[in-house]
Amino acid sequence: MRVLLVEDDWMIGEVVRDALKDASCGVDWVRDGQQALSAVKVHSYEAILLDLGLPKVDGMSVLCAIRASNNAIPILIITARDAVVDRIRGLDSGADDYVLKPFEMSEVLARLRAIVRRRAGVAAPVLTNGTISLDPATHEASSLGISLRLSGREFALLQALMIRPGAILSRTELEDRIYGWNEEVESNAVEFLIHSLRRKLGSETIKNVRGVGWMVSKGG
Amino acid sequence: MDGIERRVGQSLQLRLSMWLAIAVLLSAVAAGIFSFKAAFHEANEIQDQQLKEVATLVTAENVDSMAAGSVHYVPEFEPEAKVVVQKLGNVNTQRLLDLPPTLPDGMRTLTLGNREWRVVVRTLAPGIRVAVGQQTSDRNEIARNSAVATLIPFLVLAPVLVGVVFLLVRHMFKPLARLAAELDVRPDHDLSEIRVTGDPQLPAEIVPFLVANNRMLARVDQSVALQRRFIADAAHELRSPLTVLLLQAERLDVSEMSTQARERFTALSNGLTRTRALVEQLLTLAHAQEGNGIEADLSPVALAFRRVLEDLIPLAQARQIDIGVTGDSDIWVPANEADLGAVLKNLVDNAIRYTPAGGRVDLSVHTNNNQTSIVVEDTGPGIPVDERARVFDRFYRVLGSGQSGSGLGLSIVQTIATRIGASLTLGDAAWNEQGGLRVTVTFPRIDQPAELVDSTYNCRKSREPVA
Repeated sequence: MRVLLVEDDWMIGEVVRDALKDASCGVDWVRDGQQALSAVKVHSYEAILLDLGLPKVDGMSVLCAIRASNNAIPILIITARDAVVDRIRGLDSGADDYVLKPFEMSEVLARLRAIVRRRAGVAAPVLTNGTISLDPATHEASSLGISLRLSGREFALLQALMIRPGAILSRTELEDRIYGWNEEVESNAVEFLIHSLRRKLGSETIKNVRGVGWMVSKGG
Repeated sequence: MDGIERRVGQSLQLRLSMWLAIAVLLSAVAAGIFSFKAAFHEANEIQDQQLKEVATLVTAENVDSMAAGSVHYVPEFEPEAKVVVQKLGNVNTQRLLDLPPTLPDGMRTLTLGNREWRVVVRTLAPGIRVAVGQQTSDRNEIARNSAVATLIPFLVLAPVLVGVVFLLVRHMFKPLARLAAELDVRPDHDLSEIRVTGDPQLPAEIVPFLVANNRMLARVDQSVALQRRFIADAAHELRSPLTVLLLQAERLDVSEMSTQARERFTALSNGLTRTRALVEQLLTLAHAQEGNGIEADLSPVALAFRRVLEDLIPLAQARQIDIGVTGDSDIWVPANEADLGAVLKNLVDNAIRYTPAGGRVDLSVHTNNNQTSIVVEDTGPGIPVDERARVFDRFYRVLGSGQSGSGLGLSIVQTIATRIGASLTLGDAAWNEQGGLRVTVTFPRIDQPAELVDSTYNCRKSREPVA
């Protein structure tokens, strides 16, 4: 993956560049907005990591200019501006995601992969939280070396939880996912499915949050 | 007594009332004295006139009979002012007035024996002279009586006037009292201008003072803003070097190192994590003070609970704490999502940090007359009653708690609560035998929105699941 890194802070730029290289990405690093715009014109990148506070042309203008030229390249903003308004403006101007400084490289890499995948139109990638993975194509779940097929409803429930590991879903939300519009909701269906998923994949797979709902852990 | 004197000395209203009252009383006394003297003098004049007229009635023919009538008058027994008529010259031991025969004509006051007389002497015919006299004490009594009558209006009106003065002054000071009350109920962070034109009754003399005051408020506001901006900017500027440190640490983490180096690296890494948390909390505090620029809004508590749990469950699990929501949380509160989120995050984070492993943290919502309270309870050691006021101070940590938090959490919560008009109370958790802190955030009254829950917020049916 070839990535354009736009960052004026020398020290941050250096370490991000090295970390990207460690993750087997090809990196071009530019230090101001003008260079960024010319680099985008000349080369084709798979993604841009864009800082907002830049000399010459600021990050938001770079973002707008790229989008105005009908370039749909995935852009991940990395910035120290944390005001909600800034965040909304960035996303509205066509950024694909937004990472706040100080950040962890693992998070940046994960988000980078996600936006690239989204742009590439890869439908239904294998969902994973580090321990469990779920393949939407085959309805196969694997955990701790075990791999097995799930029933339709088990899959629907686990998929709902795995789309965003760490998110808590209430009983109603889970019921909505596993039942169609006209289907009669059976009482305890959610408990029943969770019980069976835990038996198959390990008791720690799905966690209950008292009084709120269920979740699968983020990052295992 | 001292207190009253000081109050009178400091209050313009009381001072004005007092001095006006003193002025009224002094002028009443002066006017009374003058009026008394004038009336007294006037009464004496009239009596002199009457004495003269009586004297003109006496003629050479009737003088003897009139003098004979006066002979029986005994001044000691008859209190009435009696006019005595007596011929001058012929000596008679019984005479009341022992007057020298050479007394010239005219009116005068004479002292005879121990009495004082007012006497008119006339020559009726050659050799016949008459003296008409009256005791001054009698005359004075009459004069005094009529003079005293003129004092009555002053005696009655002076107290009334003093009362009127007090009422008028109080009335004049009403706009000031109103202004003072208005300023008194201002929240601490409100440094906006005092309305000068709002009250038409506000005295013109006070306006320059208010204008000067407004200028000072503006300056204070500016310097407070600058100070806040500095905190925000400083924390903000720390982010970039901190990013470098964290990223380098992250890279170092995956490289080979000796056990000793790994140990030291872990300590370094923990220090970095703590620094990062502190910088984030400083920024949150700066935002909490300024407001996040988002209009006051209603937020669903259920969603906020869910967000904060999603955030903090990893921490709770690492510390083996059973965290959850009790009861129905399907209620809206008057706070925007960012504020509500920051309040809950800090309260729940504190609860998890200070609760020993194996403990429990409960979140719940209670409604009473449209007034909603969010309660966070834990099974930690609680906060001693005498420290409860101090824990809201910035960087204050309860001694011996051994916690490495930023010391800003409750301060942030307090700042946001004050800004959005919510109140914050610390108490003992319901499960008293286990100790524990109970933090209650009470929001101002609102009407719940008519159509409640949007489907994304829907966690209405979160019955206690079988785990």
